[in-house]
Amino acid sequence: MAERICRALRDGALEGEHAPALTIKDSIQSPFGSLVFNHVLSQLSSFIVAQKSQSQGIVLVAFSRGPLYYEEFFKSKGNDVASSNKWIRVLDCCTDPLGWRSKLMESGRIANLTLGTSTTASLYKNVKDLDKLLLAITELGKELVGDGKGRFVVAIDSVSEMLRHTSISSVAGLLSNLRSHDQVSCLFWLLHSDIHETKAIAALEYLSSMQASAEPITRPVNGQRGNSEKLPFLEQNLRGGKIHVRFKRRNGRVRLMSEEFCIEQSGIKFTPISSEAEMIAQSLVPKVQFNLQLSEKERNDRAKVVLPFEHQGNGKTIQIYDGRKSLNEDKPEMQYTSAEKVQTVKDSGRGEIIYFRDSDDEMPDSDEDPDDDLDI
Amino acid sequence: MAGNKPRGSSFSRNFSATSNTISQIPGLKHGPNGTMFLSSGIPDLDKILGGGFTLGSLVMVMEDPEAPHHMLLIRNFMSQGLVHKQPLLYASPAKDPRGFLGTLPSPMFSKDEKSRDRDAEQEKGLRIAWQYKKYFGEQNSELLRDGKSEYCNDFDLRKPLERHFYSGQQTDCISLQDSADLTTFHDRCSSFLSQTPRNDRNITCAGRIAIQSLSAPQCDFSDKECDMLSFIRSLKSTIRSSNAVAVITFPPSLVSPAFSKRLQHLADTLVSVKAIPDEDKELAKLLTGYQDMVGLLSVHKVARINTQVPTILEATTFSMKLRKRRSLILECLNQAPVDGSTGSSYASSSSCSGSSKTGAIDF
Repeated sequence: MAERICRALRDGALEGEHAPALTIKDSIQSPFGSLVFNHVLSQLSSFIVAQKSQSQGIVLVAFSRGPLYYEEFFKSKGNDVASSNKWIRVLDCCTDPLGWRSKLMESGRIANLTLGTSTTASLYKNVKDLDKLLLAITELGKELVGDGKGRFVVAIDSVSEMLRHTSISSVAGLLSNLRSHDQVSCLFWLLHSDIHETKAIAALEYLSSMQASAEPITRPVNGQRGNSEKLPFLEQNLRGGKIHVRFKRRNGRVRLMSEEFCIEQSGIKFTPISSEAEMIAQSLVPKVQFNLQLSEKERNDRAKVVLPFEHQGNGKTIQIYDGRKSLNEDKPEMQYTSAEKVQTVKDSGRGEIIYFRDSDDEMPDSDEDPDDDLDI
Repeated sequence: MAGNKPRGSSFSRNFSATSNTISQIPGLKHGPNGTMFLSSGIPDLDKILGGGFTLGSLVMVMEDPEAPHHMLLIRNFMSQGLVHKQPLLYASPAKDPRGFLGTLPSPMFSKDEKSRDRDAEQEKGLRIAWQYKKYFGEQNSELLRDGKSEYCNDFDLRKPLERHFYSGQQTDCISLQDSADLTTFHDRCSSFLSQTPRNDRNITCAGRIAIQSLSAPQCDFSDKECDMLSFIRSLKSTIRSSNAVAVITFPPSLVSPAFSKRLQHLADTLVSVKAIPDEDKELAKLLTGYQDMVGLLSVHKVARINTQVPTILEATTFSMKLRKRRSLILECLNQAPVDGSTGSSYASSSSCSGSSKTGAIDF
């Protein structure tokens, strides 16, 4: 299922559509969002290097971890650092987000610290201005893939960091502009859900087409108090958790999936869910009616049935149906099967009325008009 | 198919023959209580609402953030207006809303429409076994079908609308991101609505306003709820005195509950769309036709202009399906036949519906 997410991102956007967008959410109870992010990043980079994906490069907007971290990360995954120049660019919003450091350096207050420069990273100093950030991202992307039909992936290290500096509406504007940009193939971002208002989280979920949230395997019951009781839960939750994914499919249906993951030395590993927890079906539909329409076959069968008073006025003698087995064999056209016993359906080609009389004492129904007796 | 008989009264309006009759203007028809209807672009929805959208009313659609079904409603609404050459104003949070016009569906023409005849045939073929039939002659059933331009077209969602429909002057597109507070947008709406004022003289044409995702997070004014409320209130009053219909969609999950409730009360006609989970075995057991469904549409309120009598619908929730993946149809939800052997209860529904069954049906 994590594979499905990566494949969906790899396949990217169709012509004229918004790019698929993934929100990775975590919280303090299961703080593994960044590991999931790294997993998705490494999968996508391997697709790109193998040239199996729609996009040709990644623009990584790094807010919470600097470019050096990512260099180490890619090295550990076995990617060649030298050639990484061709497929990744890091927009460094972590080292000096508000430009304070460069101001201090200019005024001579601090010595000019040379940080390890990497060829793939460019420093960005003005995170409060999201229009300029959008421009910087798209320029980096164009640098990577050229101006024509090439597409690139945008990965935002942590939207939570962005929300520290700017309002949700400008972040939402940036993300929706990225989604509708012609050259963006897909985008994904990380969000820590417990430090934001529900409105902000709802807005980001509205903008994304997939949501993956990391949750603890078991939640401690509210009544428990005292650390000693919570420890086994904490331990379990620190070793792994569950990931719930909501996919918004193109046809408008929502697919819900879950998997378990565990944290290992090399990173994160996903396994299909063990069966105890079941998906709770959403309680949904209100008034459901009975089907009052007829199918074609039913309509044909109904047309074949001869109804009680229909024979009147046809020039034939009136046959009074009395509900018993006393059928008139001379007139085979009008047959009513009857009676107290259940009969199996004869396929006579005509419809049948199956009528169970309550008792034999009842008078037969007559065609007489009861108003004829009136003497006015 | 869900139907809703229009509420009749013993009074009927006397339309004088000399006045410019509505039947000459495509896309408009008379409704009860002196109102006029224009079509929503979805024939089933017109039937459910009793004729269409009332001129002078405000229609609100509550979106589901997980599904794009409100776009289907907006697309059909806009296409219908363009086909009938009604002036159209479209606003959306995108930077380039004109691009959306290229995704509007194109009308299907009558040789494709076999289904419209289905209803008429069923009525004609009603066989009545009636004791007093011998005293009466045959009743003749009339079949009214004018081949002229239709009030409501079926739209083919896979085929885009031809350019000449929307390249004229009458179609205006506005991006909601341009307007920092809503004043410029409000002015544009007012000037648009002044093209189709309502007065005692005859009506020449009707206008349509489609606003998509009014409180989308990308817009700067999305947290200024008071501004949005006063905009909608003044839009509603301007619309009442003009011959136009406004359809506004908004995502209720992104705004505060109080604001959402206020918007719902402001609406004349209120509709909501909902996503359905994919491959849900419980739902597949509960509903027939689950495989073809793309979503659910609920009608909460129907416009009540010039009358105090509310419209009570037989059913309020309908399933949205795409027939042959081309046109949108709405159907009543039908319960799947209950398998007597299982008799288990279904994990669904509110307590006031009687539809959750725990066993075989008992008459």
